[in-house]
Amino acid sequence: MSDMEVQKRPSVFKQKDVRQTALLTVIFTVVIGYGGALILGHVMGPSASNSMATTIFMMRAFTWASAPIAGLVAAMAVTSLLANRHSGDLPPPDAEHQIRNSPRLVALWLVVSSVLCLFAVVWGSIVLQEEDESLFTAKALNVSVTGQQWLWNFDYIDNGTVRSANLYLPVNRHVVFHVTSKDVIHSFWIVQMGIKIDANPGYVTETSVTPTRIGIYDVRCAELCGLLHANMQTKVHVVSQADYDAWIQSNGGKSS
Amino acid sequence: MTTLMDRPAAAAGHSVPKKALIERLNIFTAFGLGIVMAILFWYLARTFLPENTPGSYIKTRHDQEILLGMIGWFIGFMVGIGALIGPFRWMLGRDLSHDEHMFYAGKDQGIKRYLRYTTDHKVVGIQYLVTTMVIFGIGGILAMLIRTNLGHGGGGLIQPQTYNAIVGIHGIIMIVGTIIMITGPFGNFIMPIMIGARDMAFPRLNALSFWLLVAAIPPILSSFLLGGITTGWSAYNPLASQAPAGMDGYIMFIVIFALSTMVAGANITTTVIKMRAKGMTWNRTPIFIYGLVASVALALPAFPVFFLSQVMSAMERAMGSTFYDVRGGGSGWLYENLFWIMGHPEVYVILIPAVGALLEMAPVFTRRPLFSFNVAVMGIAGISGLSILVWAHHMYMTGWAPRLAGPFMLTTELISIPTGMLFLVLIGTLWRGRLWMTMPTASIYALLFNFMIGGITGIYLSDVPIDAALHGTMFVTAHFHYTLMGAGLTGALASLVYWFPKMTGRMFDKTLSWVSFWLVQIGFNIAFIGMFMVGLAGQPRRVEAYAAIFSRGNLITTMGAYTIMIGMLVLLYGVISSWRSGALAPMNPWFAKTLEWTVPNPVPLENFAVLPVVTSDAYGYGKAIS
Repeated sequence: MSDMEVQKRPSVFKQKDVRQTALLTVIFTVVIGYGGALILGHVMGPSASNSMATTIFMMRAFTWASAPIAGLVAAMAVTSLLANRHSGDLPPPDAEHQIRNSPRLVALWLVVSSVLCLFAVVWGSIVLQEEDESLFTAKALNVSVTGQQWLWNFDYIDNGTVRSANLYLPVNRHVVFHVTSKDVIHSFWIVQMGIKIDANPGYVTETSVTPTRIGIYDVRCAELCGLLHANMQTKVHVVSQADYDAWIQSNGGKSS
Repeated sequence: MTTLMDRPAAAAGHSVPKKALIERLNIFTAFGLGIVMAILFWYLARTFLPENTPGSYIKTRHDQEILLGMIGWFIGFMVGIGALIGPFRWMLGRDLSHDEHMFYAGKDQGIKRYLRYTTDHKVVGIQYLVTTMVIFGIGGILAMLIRTNLGHGGGGLIQPQTYNAIVGIHGIIMIVGTIIMITGPFGNFIMPIMIGARDMAFPRLNALSFWLLVAAIPPILSSFLLGGITTGWSAYNPLASQAPAGMDGYIMFIVIFALSTMVAGANITTTVIKMRAKGMTWNRTPIFIYGLVASVALALPAFPVFFLSQVMSAMERAMGSTFYDVRGGGSGWLYENLFWIMGHPEVYVILIPAVGALLEMAPVFTRRPLFSFNVAVMGIAGISGLSILVWAHHMYMTGWAPRLAGPFMLTTELISIPTGMLFLVLIGTLWRGRLWMTMPTASIYALLFNFMIGGITGIYLSDVPIDAALHGTMFVTAHFHYTLMGAGLTGALASLVYWFPKMTGRMFDKTLSWVSFWLVQIGFNIAFIGMFMVGLAGQPRRVEAYAAIFSRGNLITTMGAYTIMIGMLVLLYGVISSWRSGALAPMNPWFAKTLEWTVPNPVPLENFAVLPVVTSDAYGYGKAIS
């Protein structure tokens, strides 16, 4: 923004408040971008799937992309606040700055915000497309998920007639979930894997993920579904392929 | 009103006995007749309606009784307040006389006019102000109950059924409170004076819209006694069709409130289009008016859909229809679509007038012209236009039409462009202004801060892959509180302080306004930053109990919420004490240039002795140099 004003009025950048704004913009941008990215990584924890890793990366990137805009707004606001304050019951004399418009500034602002918007849309669309296509991965493991008030059931349709209330998944194998509900709308959500899809009565919806870390993670219902909605949760055990096969066989299924 | 009064008083001689009926009707007769009719309808329904079919899963009788009782209440209330007298007299060919019109306008009635079907826009504005505060009071108490439950490690203090009911009523009553918080009090009281008119285009519709709102409140409160709204404010089917009878209270509330909003929207839009002062071209119309019109004009397409969705919900419960029931060929996705076709424009219905009000105040408190009025208008228009095309971003994760996720992601992210334009206008106006430090000035800063956070988190959520992780979590709850409360309510509170002198004739206590500002803003940011954290860590929305890892974040949020409560109580004390005994306000305490500051305090019944002629816009501050 300061660059623009340089083009317009070359002497502007020598003015004190413009310099102060430029400096503050840089500082705020770094603080917002770095701080935001740090908090996101810290709070969202280590990702347990490819989808979650992408999600955290995108959120950090969006934070950095919006940081200069937020930084500029904050810098201009702070500079204005520091420069000229009056209190009392009578207004200060009118400001000397009378600019009612600045077509170049408006145009630049529009271009910058459009470019950032386009960046978000294009990148989001590419990732969305990849995730949609991953539903059709040939060697995926298929698991049928049924929600009902207030529990989850998982049917391992590739492994015979195995049914369980806890989810077991082999690590690094793509899984497609076929999700439905017996009563009201629920939402199947694996927290640390960053995937979610509603379970609708009468319809089957699909989502997929590749777990990347062995461990125990949370399944929660993400759509208010009545009395015990808060308790409608279970665990995902991500295990090695060998452990998975053993678990399937111990439950009477056949290895896929 | 002027047009009606110009007509010859057809039945002036007979006006005395007719006036007596008008004089007798007020809020007490309305409540009395409403309760009588409710009991009558309920009793008749109970006596004469057939039993449920034995063995069928469709059980409708209880809901029929409750809904008919509420319809009885509605009819009784509207008759009892006198809403039908005008149309009825007109139909009989004996229209109201001049004296009766003046009575309706509240002439020489003191405090009583606030309890009647009064058509004066200033009375309606004050009525809306008090009602909004009552609504926020109820919603705020419920919010404190929610936070008290969740602040206790792990939650679970309140029974799940009660907790869900509290969350549902908190949600819907706050949504309604924020919808009316600017258009109601300031849109009615200030707007006609600001555009140089003597009243609204349809004064009786104005009174109608307010009393419809009042008629809607008892049904929603009755739901406390009928099992509560246990579905959240969105009342998704099929959950709603298995919810207790409190759901019928929600349905009646929405149906009546939608009528109120449509009436008010048509009235405000017509007033602004037709009744601006001579010389007030669109380029000279204050930006607050644009915000107001964009808001109510958005409500015009949105609320009929809401109305319809709830009528269908009522049919589902009371008549065994299956619009939303997959067992009968329906789909819950239909409800979700109808709900969000209303729901997304509705958040901008709330937000735009708040931003418009702060845009209006920015030149006053920086003593320089609004930066790029045209950009501000285009920003408001752009947001309004796009906001009717984005509803399905609430439905990315429903499984409905996955192929539409991309297009809805596009329209949603496009909204950041007009929103950015509003930021540009505000920041451009602050730049090198002479800041007159008042609570409204600080509110502009608070809006920039909160709305920036609300906006950036909105960009995260608009992205489908990110939404897969965050949808349905506390992150979303924190995000929309940042926009509706951090931006919207901040604008409304600034409006209260800014227009208080004109509405009450007294200045708002300066110290109290500052104390409440800081308590509310600091408490707000503590509360909802904490909520962002637990949302990112994976706490779902609308849960009464949670895993131990979320305890710290929830405790922080609860402490912030209590700080907000203290700030709000300070504000309430400020309103009451300033209204009763504040310093008398001069005609134009802020030295502003819009027309509402050119009329004396208290504002005369017809606002202007001589209608003003406008020759320039209202932003001619700043020394004429360079």
